[in-house]
Amino acid sequence: MVMSRLQKIPVVEEKKGNPLARVFDDLVRFCRSRSLFILHYCTGCGAIELPPAMTSRFDMERLGIQPMVSPRQADILLITGYVSIKTLKRVILTYEQMGSPKYVVGICSCTVNGGMYWQSYATAKKLDEYMPVDLYIAGCMPRPEAVISGLQKLMDRIKNGEADSWQDYYRNYDYYLGNQQKLFGEDWQTPTDIITEAKHYELMGEGTLGQHTRLLEQHQQPLEALEMRLGHKLKEPVE
Amino acid sequence: MAPIELFIELTLMPLIAFIVGMMMVLMMRRIAARIQRRIGPPFFQPLYDIVKLHGKRTQVSHGLIHDIGIVMAMGGYIAAETLLPVPGMNGIAEKGGLITLLYLMMIPSLGLALGVGQCANPNGSIGIARALTAMLAYDIPLVIVIFGVAYAAGTTNLVEIIATQQAGGFATWGVVEMPLLAIAGLIAMHASLGKQPFEIYIAPAEIATGPMVEMSGKYLGGLFVMQCFQLYTTSVLYVSLFLGGGTTWFDFLIKSFLVLAIPVSIAYLFPRYRTEDLLRLMWKWPVILGLIGLAFVM
Repeated sequence: MVMSRLQKIPVVEEKKGNPLARVFDDLVRFCRSRSLFILHYCTGCGAIELPPAMTSRFDMERLGIQPMVSPRQADILLITGYVSIKTLKRVILTYEQMGSPKYVVGICSCTVNGGMYWQSYATAKKLDEYMPVDLYIAGCMPRPEAVISGLQKLMDRIKNGEADSWQDYYRNYDYYLGNQQKLFGEDWQTPTDIITEAKHYELMGEGTLGQHTRLLEQHQQPLEALEMRLGHKLKEPVE
Repeated sequence: MAPIELFIELTLMPLIAFIVGMMMVLMMRRIAARIQRRIGPPFFQPLYDIVKLHGKRTQVSHGLIHDIGIVMAMGGYIAAETLLPVPGMNGIAEKGGLITLLYLMMIPSLGLALGVGQCANPNGSIGIARALTAMLAYDIPLVIVIFGVAYAAGTTNLVEIIATQQAGGFATWGVVEMPLLAIAGLIAMHASLGKQPFEIYIAPAEIATGPMVEMSGKYLGGLFVMQCFQLYTTSVLYVSLFLGGGTTWFDFLIKSFLVLAIPVSIAYLFPRYRTEDLLRLMWKWPVILGLIGLAFVM
């Protein structure tokens, strides 16, 4: 019985051929793991543990981790604390603007299950219902050592090619969008067109399209370039 | 010179500049770390950053001019490297001269202005306006200094300027013969690096790194490469003008790293000036020093 089950386990054979064929991929993966720019979205008390982790006491730059200031430049979105519903909108906008591969790290128990804000009507309880989270660092609040050892774990996963949950956002966009619509209302729309991006990067999955994306397409308005102008001019009253 | 030899030199000079520039970026980050009592990044960190940024899956372009702007920003410096003589290689330095070099060193800022303009990000626009203002501020003392050196040497040919200094030994170095111009040049060089007291256009806490705000992936990677070239070009130009260039690679590299260490060590001790303060400061002290130095040379 057990043996017959064991025989059914598919065996993935190592691809034979040129052993140098994957050298470049391995190099890029290694460099990705050794150079992480973090964008810290500090919402709660967990933010207080980040300065010692970055500055002279624990010095994250030893590991190649350094803070960046705009979502375009960053690799890691670090969310340190509770996300209220209003904040979550900004977090999602920020997340969608980041360049892939991107990783989300939730720090403190508030991002895991709401923490001490469990009974609050105004906070989003579980962060991974709204965006794929690579790593949780639990604690209230986790010490800088815990933050750094968590990030080291993330570095190992990136090096081994396991940290690819950013693809999950494209493959299961309908699920995430559904949860977002439940909170923000049915006319929720972000400036980033995830479905077109998924098509472009060939990341369409079974869960990309669904009933929630159909709802989005009904009211989605195409993006227009911002008007370039100096100063604001009030509209004159129409007579 | 045989065309094949020239071709090899023109390929090697930017390549060496890139490698040395990466080590200069490393030195800058290590000095910053030591001043803040940290350990600092590992040896290959600049390389990791550049490879990672070019290996990103998503590359957000904002249009054709955005792409061209980054190429201009890098290309201006790559062209400038071929005009900077290094030990054993002169490239096209004899035909180019100082004035062409000065023009080529302005191209990156203009290319960046074009590229950032298409991003339509207000932070980027403010940043690039400040960068061009800063260029206006430090270019006046820089031009006075370069004019003074060229006048004293009687030529704008960088190879001849270096050869004269090397032939006469330490007593004929620019820094001994024209100390006032050397000091003015050091201040102008510090401002052209855009480091801390003069860091008006990056300003991460205020305008979110200014020109870099919308750059991601290979665009930011291109700017990282540009920074390597920028550090190399500025310090090597200073070494060629005032410290007699280099007879061997050993003393050439020691001189250029030491020259760069001066502004970098000062940089991480200071906050920064406002734009108008930078303009007032750059148009007052280095210009006065430069003009007095120029009077001594004439």
